[in-house]
Amino acid sequence: MAFLEVTNMSLEFGGVKACQNVNLSLEPGILYGLIGPNGAGKSTIFNVLTGIYAPTHGDVKLDGQSLVGKKPFEIAQQGIGRTFQNIRLFKELTVLENVMTAFYSSSKTNLNDMVFETKFFHQEEDEVRAKSMELLKVMGIADLHDVPAGGLPYGKQRKLEIARALGLNPRLLLLDEPAAGLNPSETRELTNLIRDIQKARNITVLLIEHDMGLVMNICEKIYVLVQGQLVCEGKPEIVQNDKRVIEAYLGVD
Amino acid sequence: MTKKFNKTVLLFLAFTVGAVVLNFVMSGFSFAPADLFINKPGRFSGLISPYYYSVLILLGINIILSVSLALLNGMTGLFTMGHAGFMAIGAYTSASVVSFLLPEAHFIVQLIVGSLSAGAAAAIVGFFIGTSCLRLNGDYLGMVTLGFGEIIRIVLLNIDAVGGARGMTDIPVYMNLGSVLLLTILTILVIKRISFGRLGRAMLAIKENEMAANMMGINPLAIKVKAFVISSFLAGIAGSFFAHSEGYLSTQTFTFTKSFEIIAMNVVGGLGSLSGSILGAGILTILPEALRKLQDLTGIDIRMIIYALTMVLIMILRPQGLMGNREWKWLSSK
Repeated sequence: MAFLEVTNMSLEFGGVKACQNVNLSLEPGILYGLIGPNGAGKSTIFNVLTGIYAPTHGDVKLDGQSLVGKKPFEIAQQGIGRTFQNIRLFKELTVLENVMTAFYSSSKTNLNDMVFETKFFHQEEDEVRAKSMELLKVMGIADLHDVPAGGLPYGKQRKLEIARALGLNPRLLLLDEPAAGLNPSETRELTNLIRDIQKARNITVLLIEHDMGLVMNICEKIYVLVQGQLVCEGKPEIVQNDKRVIEAYLGVD
Repeated sequence: MTKKFNKTVLLFLAFTVGAVVLNFVMSGFSFAPADLFINKPGRFSGLISPYYYSVLILLGINIILSVSLALLNGMTGLFTMGHAGFMAIGAYTSASVVSFLLPEAHFIVQLIVGSLSAGAAAAIVGFFIGTSCLRLNGDYLGMVTLGFGEIIRIVLLNIDAVGGARGMTDIPVYMNLGSVLLLTILTILVIKRISFGRLGRAMLAIKENEMAANMMGINPLAIKVKAFVISSFLAGIAGSFFAHSEGYLSTQTFTFTKSFEIIAMNVVGGLGSLSGSILGAGILTILPEALRKLQDLTGIDIRMIIYALTMVLIMILRPQGLMGNREWKWLSSK
């Protein structure tokens, strides 16, 4: 059963139709890919899913409840985590603190606990710190935990962003070009990592990526978006041989 | 070891004892309760002159102001220029409450009720200013808060009950060095602890990248309003101390130059560093007073020139502020 349904979603900016009649239905525990040429509206779909834009028409439903009109942080609290195409880390915070921020909404210490440093405050801080370290270990950057995030090399910043999104304990993880700017060996490593995490935590992943090797390798189902419209969806081998997809990428003779 | 007492309560007691001991020493080793608790600079007979005494009190008040602004400006990234307004509200509220409602009360009642009512009044105004203009960012927020600060001042200027343009006189003076020291240290501790908890992390996250903070399930508006309320509460308390250490209030004290002075303390010390805001408050309070000696010696009015030059030089040589992003050790233990 699909837990996230996007039905007939359109988004217009004035006369520009960024997305038209997009239909997605995501089932639990599956790794989805979202591909398409530059400017097709892939990141726009992410922005609609996370509440940054409200769709002009259509609906986005999580567990049957509409997400339209909800604030981005409310949607995040409901378990949709994301990373950004252009990395958005908290650069001056340490790597560990970056991940710890994701636990904000799930922790319960109040002002009183903080000011009086109650037992509960220490308990929860330690717990959050341990969980965050765990996530950093999974991503393989635990040894850098007290470095400012802005000082990390590019590939590790990408990993940190994923670790931070995992801190929300998401049901749906949206990865916006996780392999952009990585070299082939880093990409391979990240590919395996994404698949392992997805399997181990049994979460749904929707990833945007231009690296077709990565996409075809790990995605179980692929959506192809061309000029704001979904032209094809299905298993990698189906998508690869679809005429419209080949046209969109290579042009028509 | 079983923890019978909360660490904070113990610290509070320790500082209270410290404050009483300080008053005891300052008053020339007198055991009279008045000397231990309400030693006024005016009838001072102790170790240091009333002048130094009042400079030290001013230092404490400025540190509270600077640290409370650091929470907004340095940690949450909200550039506000109306901090003197919050201080004014605190000062006038406390002065009115104490001199109109509790003129005969015991000074400890006056101190507690005065400071709390000052803090509460400032926090309420801070809440409304916060909620009404937090859609603004950066310089625009600065402009609006500058306006609010001036509005507060002009409104106070036109209330006859608090003296209007003549200023408010005959305010009970009960603020002594001990209480100021105690409350300054408590303020620093409170801000330090907030900054290392989840609230502090959320504030820093919003300053660094509001969009990403949003995506981490943090409600930026709620955090910003919280920062505004906490900060204005503390500024209000600083205002209350100010009112009861001088015994006289004039709206001229709370013009936007006062706001800028507090911002300058933050910037000189280093935006984003709690230690920096303390250091900055120290330098900008002590320096103009220390330079009076130089002025007396040379007979030329070069005090403000050197003061301004020092600030210019600090900004040229260390644009990130004296402390940059670092903290002193005793403030950075997590």
